Amino acid sequence: MAFYDSMFSTLGLQDWCGTTKQDGPMTMAQLLAKSNKTSEADTSLWDMPFPSLDNLHAACSAIPRTRDMTNGVEQFFLSIKSSLQFVLDPLTQPLSWLLDGTLWLFVATPWWLLISLTILAVYFTTRSKGAPLLVAITWLFLAFIDHYTYAVQTMAIIFICTGLSVLIGVPIGIAMSKYDRLQKSAIPVLDMLQTLPTFVYLIPLIFLFSVTESKLYGIAIILYAIVPVVRLTDLGIRLVDQDIIEAANAFGMTARQKLLNVELPLALPTIMAGVNQTIMMSLAMVVIASLVSAPGLGVLVLRGINNLELGVGLVSGFCIVILAILLDRVSKAALARVNVSHNSH
Amino acid sequence: MTKMIKVSIKNLYKIFGPAPQTALEFAKQGVEKNELMEKHGHVMGLKDINVDMKDGDITVIMGLSGSGKSTLIRHFNRLIEPTDGQILIDGVDVMTLSDDDLRKMRQTDMSMVFQKFALLPHKTVLENAGTALRIRGISANEADVEAIKWLDRVGLSGFENHYPSQLSGGMQQRVGIARALTSNAAVMLMDEAFSALDPLIRTDMQDLLLELQKELHKTIIFISHDLDEALKLADHLVILKDGEVIQQGEPQAILLNPADPYIENFVSDINRARVLRVRSVMHPLAEPSIKTVGQVDYNDTLESVISHSDGDTNKVYQVMKDEQAIGTICMKDLVRALVPRTPSDEGTQAA
Repeated sequence: MAFYDSMFSTLGLQDWCGTTKQDGPMTMAQLLAKSNKTSEADTSLWDMPFPSLDNLHAACSAIPRTRDMTNGVEQFFLSIKSSLQFVLDPLTQPLSWLLDGTLWLFVATPWWLLISLTILAVYFTTRSKGAPLLVAITWLFLAFIDHYTYAVQTMAIIFICTGLSVLIGVPIGIAMSKYDRLQKSAIPVLDMLQTLPTFVYLIPLIFLFSVTESKLYGIAIILYAIVPVVRLTDLGIRLVDQDIIEAANAFGMTARQKLLNVELPLALPTIMAGVNQTIMMSLAMVVIASLVSAPGLGVLVLRGINNLELGVGLVSGFCIVILAILLDRVSKAALARVNVSHNSH
Repeated sequence: MTKMIKVSIKNLYKIFGPAPQTALEFAKQGVEKNELMEKHGHVMGLKDINVDMKDGDITVIMGLSGSGKSTLIRHFNRLIEPTDGQILIDGVDVMTLSDDDLRKMRQTDMSMVFQKFALLPHKTVLENAGTALRIRGISANEADVEAIKWLDRVGLSGFENHYPSQLSGGMQQRVGIARALTSNAAVMLMDEAFSALDPLIRTDMQDLLLELQKELHKTIIFISHDLDEALKLADHLVILKDGEVIQQGEPQAILLNPADPYIENFVSDINRARVLRVRSVMHPLAEPSIKTVGQVDYNDTLESVISHSDGDTNKVYQVMKDEQAIGTICMKDLVRALVPRTPSDEGTQAA
């Protein structure tokens, strides 16, 4: 018999375990075990197995095996799946439409129009000459090596996911800065989202949604990329000079006036730093999301891995690096502009 | 002519710690500050403060750091909640106000000037000065008109479209004062408003404040750690030490009759000739027969009388108020008043 038999019998738990109450005839294994009992009893402390679920199960069948546990998790997930789907599916459906629509729009726009529009947009947000020039060079290079469509798809996904992350993340960050209790409970969740291996994210999502739906990767990217903007909004508002907050109170500002006229403007540089991080993390995730049918440069990387097409993988990897540099520089230039208007206009 | 009492603080206690109400009972039973700290783990911020502030007066609350003066001024508009006591403004107890009423009170009845200016860095000088009106929902145009008027009054016209970071400390505090004046509140709280400025600018700002006060007659509550500043500005001086009022009254009276060794030490370094005025040292008109050699105004400083007399201590002057003789001042008394009362034995030990 198993090593922990004696422990359960000493504790008087045989009845609960049910080892003694066997209805059917003995199995071969039990017979064998019974005949070997003398030798088993001699097991020294040195050979004591760890009291894991499987080892305890051998002595007491009421204790579940590890296999049962993973099964249980799966069963639990499957049992709530339909009700979860019933709620989440319609809620997240607009995300699919938004992603598909934007992808279509970005790809359908003629290349010369899209390139000039992005250059203009970058010029108006950064008011610098360097950033638009960098954008122009990057686009032309990508188009020249025929990676333009893939890059546009990647950009479209980042555009939507970052936008939604900011729209959802900033209010959460504001709420966290106002309620300490919310902050305390939200921080472990944010920590988890940030440290969870990116592949693990995809597992429950694959169960919930069909892999062909765009919202699957949309949700994965947003969950992963929303963390910095939430954290830094919270931090930025908490770091606003207390003297100025006191002045706002002394002049009788309402909470709303304080938020819009004092806290958000003063926290803006920090929030922008969070947005920069969010953009970079969306880019990281959009590559991995190609596993779940996200279009873009990640698809090429995946092809490189799957088919051992070294050149395709390396070139598309290089394109991702260029995009990363581009996004980082442009968002930092925008951040610098915010900083300037704050400190020494 | 007695002035109305505008702001009044009655039996105000502030205790910091986990259970202030329990500690309050001990404090009321006479437990001292040190004992309250050691045995009960509570910090006595303010103890039994009673101060009346008259309409149109500058009341200076003076104390060294840690005396609770900044805590006290934040009680007037309830930026800090008292543990116990009453704060009456025009007879209304601020403690009974709802959140909305309190906010209205802060918007219309009280303005505040801060040590570190606390201007909004992303707004222009003009927008900053109009803050109080904009908060009340008054249109930007009206607020700007009012703000321009007060910016001009504090000597900042032409800087309306600058940002605070482009101005020097003194100019930033002028914006702070303009912001407080634009709110048109009758009570103005000034929390060490000039302490962060260098001495020359500080003197300028004090003069500016006195000049404005001559016209505006606001009820100003001014916090300071600088005795010279306090004596220059105060109509009513309150001296705080370790959260307690140890003496309050007319500054001249405090200077001539310090209530305890702590204040004696405090006032001993002051240039008394420049601060003391004839009215504080003169004899009321009791002996009209005394021969006087000239006339001085009752509000002249002793310094000016000394220069008038060429240092001759035998002279006696007639004291005039509004063309009327109200007393005499004898140079010997004047010289005696210049010597501070020597701090008592206790005082020297403490020092």
